[in-house]
Amino acid sequence: MSWKISNKLQINNLKLRSEAKSASGGIIENCKLKSIRQSFGDTLYRLAKTNPSLYVVDADLKSSLFLTKFAQKFPKRFIECGVAENNAASVAAGLAKTGKTVFLSSFSCFSPAINWAVIKQSICYNHANVKIIGSHSGLMSGDLGATHQMLEDVALMRSLPNMQVFAPIDALETEKIITTVSRSPLPAYIRLVRPPSPLVFDRKLPFTIGKSHLLKSGSDLTVLGYGPILSNFLNFKFLNYKFEIVNCSSLKPLDPETILKSVKKTGRVLVLEDHQKSGGLGEAVASLLLSSDLHPKFAHLAVDNRFGQSAKDYNDLYDHYGLGSADIQTAINKLMK
Amino acid sequence: METSLSSLSHSLRLQLLEMIYQSGGGHLGGSLSSLDLLIAVYFSKIFRFPGDHFVLSAGHLCPALYTVLSSAGFFPSDFLTSYSSFNSPLQGHVSTDVPGVEYSSGSLGQGLSFASGLALGDRSRSVVCLTSDGEHQEGQIWEAAMFAAKYKLGNLINLIDYNHYQIDGATDDIMPLGRLAAKYIQFGWTVTTIDGHNFPQIVKALKNAQKSDFPNCIIAKTILGKGISFMQYDYHYHDVKNLSESLYLRAKNELENFK
Repeated sequence: MSWKISNKLQINNLKLRSEAKSASGGIIENCKLKSIRQSFGDTLYRLAKTNPSLYVVDADLKSSLFLTKFAQKFPKRFIECGVAENNAASVAAGLAKTGKTVFLSSFSCFSPAINWAVIKQSICYNHANVKIIGSHSGLMSGDLGATHQMLEDVALMRSLPNMQVFAPIDALETEKIITTVSRSPLPAYIRLVRPPSPLVFDRKLPFTIGKSHLLKSGSDLTVLGYGPILSNFLNFKFLNYKFEIVNCSSLKPLDPETILKSVKKTGRVLVLEDHQKSGGLGEAVASLLLSSDLHPKFAHLAVDNRFGQSAKDYNDLYDHYGLGSADIQTAINKLMK
Repeated sequence: METSLSSLSHSLRLQLLEMIYQSGGGHLGGSLSSLDLLIAVYFSKIFRFPGDHFVLSAGHLCPALYTVLSSAGFFPSDFLTSYSSFNSPLQGHVSTDVPGVEYSSGSLGQGLSFASGLALGDRSRSVVCLTSDGEHQEGQIWEAAMFAAKYKLGNLINLIDYNHYQIDGATDDIMPLGRLAAKYIQFGWTVTTIDGHNFPQIVKALKNAQKSDFPNCIIAKTILGKGISFMQYDYHYHDVKNLSESLYLRAKNELENFK
């Protein structure tokens, strides 16, 4: 009986939330939502028209990654490995060694989770031109539950020599990142998420490897993050504080210059990530700050050594795992004291 | 040609022993079992390197590959005794830092997939992948077996050094492979079983494999520690550490007089 009661409670919560959303005009006011993974599939399709060396190695997730069109138009360049991510990673490396640029596409809970040691040896150690696309990352994959909420991918990929790590904030930045990495011979991991996300990236800005972008400038508090969880912050109004929001989509290489410049100005840092605390952006930034001559106040909101669970609305998960607006407010209160 | 391959086998076996002894140890057992297969790949003139591809999936067998590559002129033989030493490109497990090496390996089971990727991307060339029998306990090998059959990689050859032993004992005790030839046939491969120390058989199998429309598996029955009586069939010589001078001299004497 008890599960039914809690189910009911959740439905009530959802209702309240949707009312709250409509009252404020959505998560981000006046912001269009667009699918990050569709942007990936569409961009790759467009690039493949003029780049004949562009290949996809897939592990039975082409429809989820919007690669159906690519597979139909370029069947010889779409290599289907089935549910076998270890083989897929080494096949991608071998193909890359024959002069192709290979996009190894799956969910991050499978690739790079299942095939990490294969990525380490076959791709990184062998300098293979393979771009690993890991979709459905973070608590944002919602109803799929703990096994499909990849919260360790950034840690896994950041730790590998020769690997670059990028996480677009929206569909626009996805297009720019995919285009940029398609022209680079180095291995890269690109972290994508499942739900449609607000378009917040400035169309006029380029994506540059090792560069962060200010989404908003301010003087009271530096907010660092990556992926759509950070765009939620754009609308976040809390007292009269002026937040400086930095989109750290280039997670490796990081952009120490932009981060330190902002922290020097504000003296306060809040890192927000839909990932485990271990090995994520927060630890990278903490290490950077401790090695600098700055001594800012620091808070890190991330999933802390726990597994996720299913929810129809991932915002319920953010509330439950310490990433919700109440948690953000508490953290800011402490930082601003 | 078989005579010259045999005489090369004779001299490289001695060079291998020297290399392992001088450098303080290494994976000698499997190097001695796979040596003739590597000699056939590089010296039978069936393949052209660079051009065709060779992938050492069982990266610990690199001492044998190093002696073969050095004989083939990729680097001077003076380098051999630096095997697994600090600052030497001749790592304890094979790396692309070594001239002539196309794939860095060491973690078992990945090379056949990598070779499949090469075979798919470069269909006009042959891709020979050397795997070990113990390595077939890795699930990824069977993922690759399915993949190569699906994509009809007729230019792919999986050359298996089947010496029946692995690090902790006999393959049949640790995890039996069962009917390996039958398994590959069921997976859609062309399979040949040969004596892995018989050059006419190795060369014939490699030549036949070139004409296949299906991926090719050559199961080469070999002897762990081949040529050194006290090492043969003894899994403790998978990795040799600090070989005593008397055992070294005994091994050397046996190899010098080996026909």
